[in-house]
Amino acid sequence: MQNHDQLTIERLGGFGGFGGPHLKSKGELSLSGLSAEDLRAVDRLFPGDRQVSAPKTDGFRYRITRWSGSELQTIEVSEEEVPPFIQSAVKDSLE
Amino acid sequence: MSCTCFIIPKDVLERLSKDPELSKELRQASKDTARVSSAMRNLRDQASLLTSATRTVGIMELQLAPFPAVKVYDCKHHQTLPGTSVPNSGTSPDLTASRTFKETTAVANFYKQVFGRNSIDGVGMTMLSSIHYGTNYNNAMWNGAQMIYGDGDNQIFIDFTAGNDVIGHELTHGVTQHTLQLAYSGDAGGLNESLSDCFGTMFRQWEANQDVNHADWLIGHDILGPVAKTKGFTCLRNMANPADPHALAPQPTKYAQITPGMDPHYSSGPPNLAFYLSCKSVGGKSWEKVGQIWYRALTGFPPSPNMKMKEFADRTRKLATQMYPAAPAVATAVGQAWKQIGL
Ligand SMILES: [Zn+2]
Repeated sequence: MQNHDQLTIERLGGFGGFGGPHLKSKGELSLSGLSAEDLRAVDRLFPGDRQVSAPKTDGFRYRITRWSGSELQTIEVSEEEVPPFIQSAVKDSLE
Repeated sequence: MSCTCFIIPKDVLERLSKDPELSKELRQASKDTARVSSAMRNLRDQASLLTSATRTVGIMELQLAPFPAVKVYDCKHHQTLPGTSVPNSGTSPDLTASRTFKETTAVANFYKQVFGRNSIDGVGMTMLSSIHYGTNYNNAMWNGAQMIYGDGDNQIFIDFTAGNDVIGHELTHGVTQHTLQLAYSGDAGGLNESLSDCFGTMFRQWEANQDVNHADWLIGHDILGPVAKTKGFTCLRNMANPADPHALAPQPTKYAQITPGMDPHYSSGPPNLAFYLSCKSVGGKSWEKVGQIWYRALTGFPPSPNMKMKEFADRTRKLATQMYPAAPAVATAVGQAWKQIGL
């Protein structure tokens, strides 16, 4: 279960179709370890009325989850919208 | 203006531009950034609209060049596009640069010689590629204006330019953008991906001068890294057997197995299989007959962003009859292939 300090990140899609049965790309960040500027960047990704952005051909998408009050909040955005410190938190693996 | 501005969603920027707690300068900066971001995001849509408009008024005959220029840029492991121009990239000591130049030129030749098409847009558009994108970047993509290639992490994948099918695949996304203009979700998304695999694999077979029986029909075979190979994987996708357990991304084989929201790299399985079955049944070289039908279905009609797979199947059935009236076996092969995947 994701704890309240965690930001969990999953990178999906791309030419290889990450997020399928074998190709995975996942990571997490501790929110308490982020600078005030990075925390603001996270907040900006999570407006309540956020739409899923249009996917680009073979571009990566990021599924990002955090706690908002008592609920888990998840967004899915294309790579160009994701700050570099979140992009670099994921690690590709084979399952 | 800092480039990080572009990662802020438009709605947030618009809200900031009206926030009374911010200084006048910050509000103006947010407003300006929203305008520029919006323009950037609309660029691809406008390119598509321009393509349609020029076709409608019949000025597509205005060729930019008889053969497209091929340009290679080096991102030097950053993610700023396009990067630094690689001079004389065809003879560059950087093997990724020289390979990208050579294979991109070969794709241009393939489209020209086999289908009579001049570049991505049909009128000689420069083919621009950026290599060494990011660090250990396990991806290649078409961003609406150019190709982008990562070097891979040398574990799961190696340099993405090592696969000529990858290069053919990415360039075909550009062709689709300038013709059928398929969306990237639902049936249209799966078709979009499938067309890139079909033309990517046809290009690979054309370069090797292989017939349908000698081809391996694998996508991504040449970019697998040592860890993937050690675990027994042979490809990303297998067009002849989309459900192949040796594929890193095994796919459904029947249209009915496609689920809502499925990633287009998975929903492309059934139409990939229909293309393979058609080619195998007709025999010879994939690009000689079935490839010609698929090309006409892609480029010979107005844009159809939300096309259903059934519509595409019916279009290829009709084209097979029209294009090869003296060889009814071609239409039978195409019809049977679609039937086998449930369309
Ligand atoms: Zn693709």
